[in-house]
Amino acid sequence: MNDRDHQGLDFSTVLASTVHDMKNSLTLLMQSWNQWLERLPPELAESGERGVIEYESLRLNGMLMQMLGLYKLQINQLPLRPDWVEVEELLQEQLARHADILQARGIRGSCSVEGAGLFFMDAELIGSVIGNVINNSIRYAHSAIHLQASLHGDMLLLTVNDDGRGYPADMLGRYGTGTRDADVSNGSTGLGLYFGQCIASLHQRDGQCGYIELDNGGTLGGGEFRLYLP
Amino acid sequence: MIDYSHKRFLIVDDFTDFRSALSGMLRQMGVNDIDAATNGEEALALCRKNHYDVILHDYNLGKGKNGQQVLEELHHDRLLGPHCVFIIISAESSQAMVMAALECEPDSYLTKPFNLASLQQRLDRLLGMKSVLKPVLEAQWQGDWRGVLEACSRILAEHPRYAPQCRRHQVAALAALGRREEQAKLLQMLISERPLPWALVALADLWRENGQLEQAQALYLDGIRQFPMIPALYDGLAATELALGNPQEAQQQLQQGLRISPNSLLRQERMGELAQRNDDHEQAARAFRHAVELGRNSLFRNPENHLNLVSSLQAQAGDNVLGQRVLGEIRQTLGELDRTWRDDPALAVRSRLAQAETLDKAGQGAEARRLAEQAVAQLAELEGFFSAPAALRVAEQLRALGQPQQADSVLGSCAEMYGDDPQVLAEIATHTDDPAILAAGSQALEWNQQAILLYQQKQYPEALQLFRQALASQPRNISFALNTAQSLLRLLGRQPAAQLQEEPATGLLDECRDCLQRASHMPPGDHRQERYRKLRERLEAL
Repeated sequence: MNDRDHQGLDFSTVLASTVHDMKNSLTLLMQSWNQWLERLPPELAESGERGVIEYESLRLNGMLMQMLGLYKLQINQLPLRPDWVEVEELLQEQLARHADILQARGIRGSCSVEGAGLFFMDAELIGSVIGNVINNSIRYAHSAIHLQASLHGDMLLLTVNDDGRGYPADMLGRYGTGTRDADVSNGSTGLGLYFGQCIASLHQRDGQCGYIELDNGGTLGGGEFRLYLP
Repeated sequence: MIDYSHKRFLIVDDFTDFRSALSGMLRQMGVNDIDAATNGEEALALCRKNHYDVILHDYNLGKGKNGQQVLEELHHDRLLGPHCVFIIISAESSQAMVMAALECEPDSYLTKPFNLASLQQRLDRLLGMKSVLKPVLEAQWQGDWRGVLEACSRILAEHPRYAPQCRRHQVAALAALGRREEQAKLLQMLISERPLPWALVALADLWRENGQLEQAQALYLDGIRQFPMIPALYDGLAATELALGNPQEAQQQLQQGLRISPNSLLRQERMGELAQRNDDHEQAARAFRHAVELGRNSLFRNPENHLNLVSSLQAQAGDNVLGQRVLGEIRQTLGELDRTWRDDPALAVRSRLAQAETLDKAGQGAEARRLAEQAVAQLAELEGFFSAPAALRVAEQLRALGQPQQADSVLGSCAEMYGDDPQVLAEIATHTDDPAILAAGSQALEWNQQAILLYQQKQYPEALQLFRQALASQPRNISFALNTAQSLLRLLGRQPAAQLQEEPATGLLDECRDCLQRASHMPPGDHRQERYRKLRERLEAL
């Protein structure tokens, strides 16, 4: 046992409550920013810094949410509330959340759905996973991001494609089987994938678990993130 | 595409900047008609005047009512038409808040910050859905449950994307119609497809209400195993454990539910009662304290929570003299009770007795006696009466404060009014063994029983005779008064309208009016209020 344990400070609890405050601060920050923006003359309002501020704040928000999510997962308090979800609505919602940034960066966001109407899942959790992946892809995409839903046997397959340079070779394949995927010290990408895998595997049916997979190529020739749900 | 130019919007938020930002987004969507309110009271006032298509309500508005409390009040006062979309907006992401917001079931929930595209996408979906579900929602608004079922089967066939919503409405309609077997079957079918959390809760609740307690218990436990963060599962399990005679286990389960979602007034109230019953006064005081706080701006505020908080605080001190801090909290709690319900004389008596008991425990015997005497004087003036549990508590307090005769008189009134309920009579027997109180109504009770049998055999004049005898013997008994009134209405209803203007009908009408007048003294939460209201309507319709 570590000496510091005696001081009774549970670091993950401290972190979780600080993250709450950070999130609230960020919200206020963004509200003020938006008000300021309205008063700025157009040439300043449309400057390059605007895109950076908005994108990075969305990223920050996503990372904080992810941290809270991981904390709750650890203490078994991540609220899983599945229901029948309209798959297309779920994907559209994530595109809408990123609409401003996609537009600012000149990236075309699109979505297609084949055969998957309603599917049973936790919309909030799956939405946040897809949102994080989009956020990540925006950094690498040149001009396009495409979301797709299809049925893969009994499973629902959600994919996020971009036309960037793709994932590093040692991250490819099914999560948990590659060499670098479990590396959560590798910044937000690694953590995001870990979170995605956790959320996917919370979704179970008849002994089958959800999982994630990375590939290159795909419909847009760049990275392809795949999320399978039972 | 939805045309927003004719839709009427209400924004409720205490931040001017946010209101203007949101209005800006709505205008970009083509909305012309936007009202704004800065607090819940204003929002309610506007909803009384206008019919909105969409209400965007910030959850936490500082001091006054929060989004949940406004939504509850809109539902209660039927101000939220079937087409209206109510969205809760929140900046916080604390679990307690999110859970509370979800538990009040708004149409949707948005977290700040959000952009125009997200807002529009959400509104498009909700308004689109409500327009397809319109026949269901309108039938539901009218209480036409058969209509709901018909509309649901039509929409299920034509718009399968809305099947999940239709299923919920079907279950609610079957429940309202009392078609429990079909309800259970439908729920089982839904669960066999996928473990749908709301359906799990609904089926277990149904089994519990049917008395299938072991089955319900197993289903709640299975639900908790799969979805440990759904508070309704713990509520249901707690109620089941209580029904199975395990109040300690029930308290533990409820505690789990509170851990997930503490900002629920009714859950805190139940916890207080359960802990009180388990003699866990510390937990009880904590729960009632929460309940008092949560009730401050709520439609569901309940004076019993104030009184229960006071008695838990007293009990927590045991035989020790009450300390200054506790005395301060009691004084403040009773002060708030007196101010909030200042027009309720029965509560005033109970508040005074609680105060007297407190002073007695604080070693101020003389002052306690003075207050007890005041309470007795108020009691004599009282027009209505207490509910049975309140009456028992009052009798207990009077006895402790050295007023045994008054205590017996309250028990006597309680026996007279509620003695037809064997459970109440059994409770009274734990407070007294005086046969004058316990047996006073036994003859009347027998007459009432016989009369009910006669009534069931449609021998109305004979039944009326016996109900009258019972009521004459126990003139304050609410059931006897209602039974007599109902028999009178039955006989009067058979008469041709012309004869109702003449004797003997006019005499019977007067008698019926008098019976209902007596029954009207029942306390507000009494389970017979509904029956009373219906009889009153029938009398007025004659």
